[in-house]
Amino acid sequence: METKSSSSSTNLVDQSVCPGDVILDLSNMTNQTIKLGGGLRQDCDAISVMKAGRLRFSKPNKYWVENSQKRYVPHAEDSVLGIVVDSRSDNFLVDIKGPALAFLPVLAFEGGTRRNIPRFEIGTLIYARVVKANPGMNPELACTDASGKAAEFGALKDGYMFECTTGLSRMLLSSPTCPVLDALGKKLSFEIAVGLNGRVWVSAASPQTTIVVANAIMNSETLSGAQQRIMVEKLLERIH
Amino acid sequence: MEQRLANTWRMPLNDKKFIETALLSDLRLDGRRPSDYRKLTVKLAKQDGSAEVHLGQTHVMTFVTAQLVRPYRDRPNEGSLSIFTEFSPMADPSFDPGRPSDAAVELGRVVDRGLRESRAIDTESLCVLSGKLVWAIRVDIHILDNAGNLVDAANIAALASLLTFRRPECSLAGEDGQDVVVHPPEERDPIPLIIHHLPIAVTFGFFSNENLLVIDPTHHEECVMTGRMTATLNSNGDVCAIQKPGGESVSHSVIMHCLKLAHVKATDITTKIRDAVEIHNNERALRKIKRHSSSVAVDVCGEKQNQLDASHLDKLKLEEEEESPMECEASPSGQEQSKDGVSKNFTGGPSSWDPYSECVNSDLLKASLASRGPSVPSKQKDSRRETKPKEPPLEIKTDSTPINKALTAGQNNKGKTLKDAVKPKHKKKKIVSSNNEN
Repeated sequence: METKSSSSSTNLVDQSVCPGDVILDLSNMTNQTIKLGGGLRQDCDAISVMKAGRLRFSKPNKYWVENSQKRYVPHAEDSVLGIVVDSRSDNFLVDIKGPALAFLPVLAFEGGTRRNIPRFEIGTLIYARVVKANPGMNPELACTDASGKAAEFGALKDGYMFECTTGLSRMLLSSPTCPVLDALGKKLSFEIAVGLNGRVWVSAASPQTTIVVANAIMNSETLSGAQQRIMVEKLLERIH
Repeated sequence: MEQRLANTWRMPLNDKKFIETALLSDLRLDGRRPSDYRKLTVKLAKQDGSAEVHLGQTHVMTFVTAQLVRPYRDRPNEGSLSIFTEFSPMADPSFDPGRPSDAAVELGRVVDRGLRESRAIDTESLCVLSGKLVWAIRVDIHILDNAGNLVDAANIAALASLLTFRRPECSLAGEDGQDVVVHPPEERDPIPLIIHHLPIAVTFGFFSNENLLVIDPTHHEECVMTGRMTATLNSNGDVCAIQKPGGESVSHSVIMHCLKLAHVKATDITTKIRDAVEIHNNERALRKIKRHSSSVAVDVCGEKQNQLDASHLDKLKLEEEEESPMECEASPSGQEQSKDGVSKNFTGGPSSWDPYSECVNSDLLKASLASRGPSVPSKQKDSRRETKPKEPPLEIKTDSTPINKALTAGQNNKGKTLKDAVKPKHKKKKIVSSNNEN
């Protein structure tokens, strides 16, 4: 019985699913715990899909739906790139491409106290972590990791930020290293910060390198691994 | 408020700084040099008088329509040209639905001025009956996607659609030669507008650093630049108009340099538009040729019968295809109807400044809506001649003089229902007045 149900669910894993598709039937897997991620919901005994995308499964029991979109839906523990919109006495308002502005508490920095509140100009680019993302509330950010260390979070200086889809930023963060970054990294030196909200920041010594890297990344969205390498090679040939 | 704040597009300070530093070494974000134009594609629809232009990511669509109206009193022999813009919030979240923004008004004005002041379109050839009926040409510009430099894209689209636009042919009939007959396109081929030259708008961006200058700025560059200038030139290098709305002051020599650059670009763009129009015209001519397929000529034996049928069917289809777009273009009223759907949402006033609208009788303006009617190609008539015998295939409208809708929208922006309510009462008035005249 158990094996049958798991086999019926696995044939949808890594497949495209549409809203309304039922991926799991809980009535015949009573003594199992499963964890649901974004895009899935439970209707009594059935687990159904809420958004179009690809169904993912990670062992032992996590299911979620992945898709690519321009708007970001905040989730806790995502690292995102935000733009400071306004500063209030206890919060910075940060635009993270979500449906609502995010709050960044002024104390959510490493060693943050009332004495040393950081000053951010409006328009500053910030690399931060989503701490809370509850429906009906503005998401909350922090510029520290879970243990309170700065861990690369904070304001980003210089460089160039561009917007892409959430699918592309997930591809850039995947491991093993995404082919386009791998190929670029062999020839050029640059810094990159990828936010899961579809924003990528690139910084290099010369503006030329920055522009090449940014355009290579933007072009790579629809290309396969091999195509990405070829595209990067051609691009680098042209500038040298 | 909150929601609006979350939805607007923002640019981080890093990008602003980066764009300027990259420009110092002659680099732009999309890999162009400062004096390069983005990739331009002109797409012309099968239907005459509509064009779509892609300039990089910028996407603009235009439609041209014509209507028979009464001319302005001081220019009895001239038709009119009016430009309307629609900035859809879909193109850019910063565009508000409702009132046209300053950018929308400026865009319409720049395009309008380029065409009008240089007399690019021969308005006198639009006259049908001096002092009574002329053609009013209306250009609707729809912004579908904003990625910067809307003015140039809109201007190119407007030119391309004007080049392909054809108006139905008119002739005079009746015992005193004062009745206007509008010929449907099946009867007589519609005629294109007379366009003397193509005024091309080329936009430049200036930055706080005086040496920096870009041509065809993108959306990002528009956020950073401190001044802009649009020069409208034709391929001969004649300057038709220059628009420099505030911002950074620019020296004389820089403007001369810009005009030289603009001339080169205008020549390139003119060839592109002309090529696209030529392809369109060729296709149009091909569609017109009635093809007799070879199988008709061949002696038909049993097996070929099927083929013949098939080819016959094809031919029929071809004819159908041929007719349908023409019907649209044939009847201004038919187009009018489809446009009405759009114009319900379209609340923008005319962006064209119209010096002569004051001369038009407001009674006639109110009557204009009455002229919009059946989609059958209709014979339009002067209101005073009521005693014409009706010809069965053509519907004769006797109620009113059609007036440029543009004017109506300009003077009376209250929406359609109000005007509809006015109409019947007004009709009566008309009849009375015409009786008095008789």
